[in-house]
Amino acid sequence: MPAAALLAARRRFAWWLMAPALAMFAANAVFPLLYALDVSVRNYQLLIPVPARFVGLANYAQIFSDPLFWSSVKVTLWFIAGVVFLELPAALGLALLFASLPRRAGVAVTVLLVPTILAPSVVGFQWAQIYNYQFGPLNYLLGLAGLGHPVWTASPTLALPSLIAIDFWEWTPFMVLLLFAGLSAVPRDIIEAARVDGSSYPQIFRRIMLPLMRPVIGIALVLRVLMSFKTFDIIYILTAGGPGAVTENLAYYTYIQGFRYFNLGYASALAVIQLIVVAALANALLRLARRPGLVGTA
Amino acid sequence: MNKTVLHAPAIGRRGLMGAGLSALALGADPRRAAAASRVNIECDAGQNELPFRWNAAALETKEGVTPNLVSLPFVGQYEKLVTDLTARSSAYDVLVFPPYFLGDFQALGFLRELDPYFSLLDPRLADYLPVYRDPVIKRAGKTYALMFDGDLLQLSYRTDLFNDPKEKAAFKQKYGQDLAVPATWADFMKVAEFFHRPPHLYGTAFYAARGFCYAWFVNIFAGLGGHWFDAKMNPGIKSAAGYKALSLLVEMKKYAPPNILQIDYPTLNQVFLDGSTAIVVQWDDLPLKCENPKMSKVVGKSGFAPCPQRSYMPYSRVMAVSAFSKNPKDAYKLAAYMQLPEVGITYVYDPECGEDPYRESYLKPSAVKNHLGQPTMSPAAAANYVDAIRGGLKAGYPELSIPGAPRYIDILDLYVNQALAGSLSPKAALDACAGEWAGITEAEGPERVGKAYADWVASFRKVGLAY
Repeated sequence: MPAAALLAARRRFAWWLMAPALAMFAANAVFPLLYALDVSVRNYQLLIPVPARFVGLANYAQIFSDPLFWSSVKVTLWFIAGVVFLELPAALGLALLFASLPRRAGVAVTVLLVPTILAPSVVGFQWAQIYNYQFGPLNYLLGLAGLGHPVWTASPTLALPSLIAIDFWEWTPFMVLLLFAGLSAVPRDIIEAARVDGSSYPQIFRRIMLPLMRPVIGIALVLRVLMSFKTFDIIYILTAGGPGAVTENLAYYTYIQGFRYFNLGYASALAVIQLIVVAALANALLRLARRPGLVGTA
Repeated sequence: MNKTVLHAPAIGRRGLMGAGLSALALGADPRRAAAASRVNIECDAGQNELPFRWNAAALETKEGVTPNLVSLPFVGQYEKLVTDLTARSSAYDVLVFPPYFLGDFQALGFLRELDPYFSLLDPRLADYLPVYRDPVIKRAGKTYALMFDGDLLQLSYRTDLFNDPKEKAAFKQKYGQDLAVPATWADFMKVAEFFHRPPHLYGTAFYAARGFCYAWFVNIFAGLGGHWFDAKMNPGIKSAAGYKALSLLVEMKKYAPPNILQIDYPTLNQVFLDGSTAIVVQWDDLPLKCENPKMSKVVGKSGFAPCPQRSYMPYSRVMAVSAFSKNPKDAYKLAAYMQLPEVGITYVYDPECGEDPYRESYLKPSAVKNHLGQPTMSPAAAANYVDAIRGGLKAGYPELSIPGAPRYIDILDLYVNQALAGSLSPKAALDACAGEWAGITEAEGPERVGKAYADWVASFRKVGLAY
C-alpha cells in the first residue's frame, strides 16, 4: 500500500475512533448550546399557550433595560470580589503555614477539606442554623460577649457578607489545597540558595515563591471566579435572593426567570450572556496566567 | 354511590401478600385491600399531608383506593409541578395546590374537569362556603378542583393585655380612645405602637420574609379599598391605596421584632405563641395552636377577630385530578372523599395540621375538635374563633387566580420585600412592580387575561363579596 493511502487510512481510523466521543460532545454540549441560542431569540414562554415566535434580539435588548438584571450583576460582582479578595490571601497564608509544618502534619490539609466535600444543601442548612437569629450558636456567643444579635441573612447590609462568609468557609480549603500543591512544587534548592545568599523570608516569598506559584494561583483564581459566578445553592437555601433582591445574583435571577416564571426565551438570553461573560473572564485570566514575565516564567 | 374498585390491577402471589400485609398494618380488610387501587397524591411536605395519612385506612376500606403521598417541598412546588405536568408526567393522580395556580393549570390543560365524575361520589358542594365554591374551584361554570383547605388572614391578639385595666387607662390617656380590637389600620398601628416594649414584648409581627410578604401588603391594600386591576387591566397597586398600604407595612416594622425580615409562617406563629407579641395578623390556623398547651404559652389569653376592614384569603389548598392521570376515577374518589363534610371536619380544626374550614357546616363552635374528636379549645374560645372566621369571610378578599397569577404574585412579593428591606421606597417599589405586571399582562395577552379577570371578579361578586 502506498504511503499516502496508508496515511489516509490511518486518519480515517482515527476519526472512527474519535467519532463516539465527538457524537457525545455534540449531543451534550453543542446541541444544548445551539438550542439555547435558538430559544434566546424567541418569545418562548412555557406557561402561555401560544406558539413561540422569532423576536430577534428583543430578549437581549430587554435584559439591558431590566433593573433586576443590573442589580443581579452588581450582586454577582460583589460576591466574586469578596470571594477573591478574602479567599486568596487566606488560602495563601494557610498554604504557607502547612508547608512550614512537619510532613506528618499534612494530614491537617485533609481535615481542612471537610467543608469542601460536604453537600451544598448540607452546608446551607448547617449555616441556616448557625445564623439563626434566636437559637443560632453564633448569636448566642455574640450575646454572651455583649455584641448583640445581628440578623445575619435577613439584614439588607449583612445578608451578602454572610453568604460570602459561607463561601469563604466552604471553598478556602480548596484554594489551600491547590496553593499547597503549588508551593510543594517550588524547588527547594532555589530557596536554599537564596537563604545562603542572605535573603530574608519575605524576600524569598516575594521574589521566588510567589513568581513560581503564579500559574497555580492563576488556575485557582479562574476556578474560584467561575464557581462564584455560578453560586446558587446557598442563596436558594438561605436567602432566596432576599431580603428584597440584595442577594439575587445572576445565576439565581436566571433560575427565577427560567424555572419560576418559565420565561424560557428571556432566561436563555440571560444564560447566553453569562456564557459569553464567563468565557471572556476565564480567557482573560488564563492569558494573564500565561503572560511572559508575569507568571509561569519566573 | 359507586364503591366498586374501577381499576383493579392483576395481582400475583407476592403482590397479594404485600397488599394483605399493608392492609393488615392499616387495620383494613385484606381482601378489599388486595383489590385497592393506588392513587398518587402530590402534596406539599409536612403538616398538610397528615389528613391523608389519618384517612389512609378509611380510603382503602371505604373507597378502595390506596393513597400514596408524593411530597414536594413547599418552596418550589409550583416550579416542580409545572415542569412535570408540561412533560405530561403521570407521576401524580391527585394534585394538591393553592388556587392561585388554578388559572394557569386550567388554561394549560393540566387538570381534568370533575363534573363528569360527580356520579361516583357526590362532593356535596351545596355546603361549601360560597366564597370558596364558585370563585375558587370553578372556571367558566366547570368544576376543576375540590377544597382541602380554606385559608384566611385574621387577627390574633392577647386578651390579657387588651383587658388589663391599667393598659386600658394608659391607652386612653395616650390616644384619647378606648383600647379595643382594631377595626381600622390606623387603630392597628396605634395598638402596635402602644404595646411595643422590646425586648420582652413587641407590638406586632408579620410575614416579612420573601415568599408571602405580599399577602400582608394585600391585606392592608384590600382594607384601604384597593383592587388588583381596573377594568382595562391597569395595575391597581400603582395608586394612593397601594402606596399607603405599603407605607403602613414598612412603618409596622418599627413595632416588630428585630429579625422581622426573617419572619415567615412558623416564626410568626412562634412569636405569638411564646407570648412575645401583642397582636398579629396570621392565617386562621394560629388560634388552634394558641389554645394547645403543648404548643403555646398563651392558652386562654388569646382573642381572635377579622382583620381591619377586609380579610385577605391567601393560599388555601384545593385537590384536583391531573389530566395525565392514568387512574382519574379513583383519583377523583380520593379527592371527593377527603372533602366530604364528615371527613373534612376531622382535620380542619386539628392543631397538628394546617387545614382550615371551607364548609358552612364546619362553622359552629361544637365542631372545633381534632381528628380524634376531642375539643381543641374551650367553648368560649371556639365561639370567638368561629365568629372571627365567619366575620372574616364576609369581608373576604380573594387571592388572585387568573392565568399568570403566580408570576403577578411573585413579582409583587419581590417588590414588597424590596420596600421592607429598604432598597426601594414604597412608591418606587409599587411603580416598578406595576411596570412588571404590565409586561406580564402583555405577554399573557391583554384580552385573554382581561376576560379571565373579569369572569373571576364577577364570580365572587355573585356570591356577595364586595369588590
